[in-house]
Amino acid sequence: MSRADNTRFANVVLPYLDDAYALARWVLGNRADAEDVVQDACLRALRGISGFSGANGRAWTLAIVRNAAYDWLRKNRPAAIVPVEDLEKVERVASRDNAAVAPAQDDPETALIARADELRLQAAIEGLPAVFRETLVLRDVQGLGYREIAEITGVPIGTVMSRLARARDRLIETLGAEQ
Amino acid sequence: MTPAQDDRLWLNAYIDGELDPAHALEFEQRLAADPALAAAHARIAALRGAIRERVPREQASPQLRRRVAALARPQPAPGWRALAASVAVAFVAGSALTYVVLGPGGQESGTPVAPLVVASHMRSLMASQPIDVASSDRHTVKPWFNGKLPESPRVVDLTTQGFPLVGGRIDVIGLTPAPTLVYRHRLHVISLTALPARLGVTPPHAIDGYNIVDWTEGGITYWAVSDLSAPELEDFARAFRAGEAEP
Repeated sequence: MSRADNTRFANVVLPYLDDAYALARWVLGNRADAEDVVQDACLRALRGISGFSGANGRAWTLAIVRNAAYDWLRKNRPAAIVPVEDLEKVERVASRDNAAVAPAQDDPETALIARADELRLQAAIEGLPAVFRETLVLRDVQGLGYREIAEITGVPIGTVMSRLARARDRLIETLGAEQ
Repeated sequence: MTPAQDDRLWLNAYIDGELDPAHALEFEQRLAADPALAAAHARIAALRGAIRERVPREQASPQLRRRVAALARPQPAPGWRALAASVAVAFVAGSALTYVVLGPGGQESGTPVAPLVVASHMRSLMASQPIDVASSDRHTVKPWFNGKLPESPRVVDLTTQGFPLVGGRIDVIGLTPAPTLVYRHRLHVISLTALPARLGVTPPHAIDGYNIVDWTEGGITYWAVSDLSAPELEDFARAFRAGEAEP
């Protein structure tokens, strides 16, 4: 690694270390694995830094972190990766059930959601399937825009939108239910 | 009625500020005219507000920052020596004397051991390699020490327990050259330094984010230092103590 690569790495990747860790932490669910994956991702980033186009350091870094996290999951916890087609199937069933219960205008559900405490929120987000969870976390916890999320997760914007809508529907269903 | 699939996407994009002004205006008019859509809007807004207020943004720990910064810094930066020294100084200033280093003549030099082994470990992580002899074979590592120190350390193969041997190096703790074995667990490096045993009160179990486990056997005190969690480092120490040494 040349000195120039090291400098570039320090400028492009290091500023987003918190974002990188947060994403890995949400995908993997615990600190130790997240830290190992971020370190692995940073090593990959350092090796590939000369190929960085210079457009968006955060999206570039997070895309590498995401790949490293999924590689880790495939190797260590393959059961955590649910094929997307299966999710869509489940989703169709779920939204049919949902449609039967028409929400009232001023519903208590909304109030319940607004009052959900940190533990309930955290548990509900952790309960989402991985692709929905990462999309929701990138948007609502980390504050990224649709275009950036599409770049990081490697899918079209339309897919980001539908994943986000589904993730939110699921959270609303979980959090809006009485405990 | 739950809004149709397309409306849900529009609704989310509207809330996220991803619609251009013309579409946003159009959508606002629909929202005002459609109670079901307005109710769905209220729920998503409530969810977003709750997440923003109550789900903490995770931050990288100082240890992770150090590990990552070390990747891009194959040459030890001068700042790190100063930092390692300041750890030692801070510790001397802030605690009762515990284990102290003996000089060559057996006299106490007055410096506690724990911060010195931690400083050596930190220093090794800053170098391009944390080891002077790289080998996962204890039959290579042990003889390497033979030529350099009066006594070579016990070397135990812990690969099956999840702690592969990476190699060894010689640290100078105070004025005492000390054999140090380097093991790995996942991506964490463990330094295990062997020093002549002496009496003292219990040393600290962590310094500056590094955990420390020490034990004494056969006149030697072993110091294991790593950014592994304390229970995992205890596992390592247990495995090493139970392990079979080179015959």
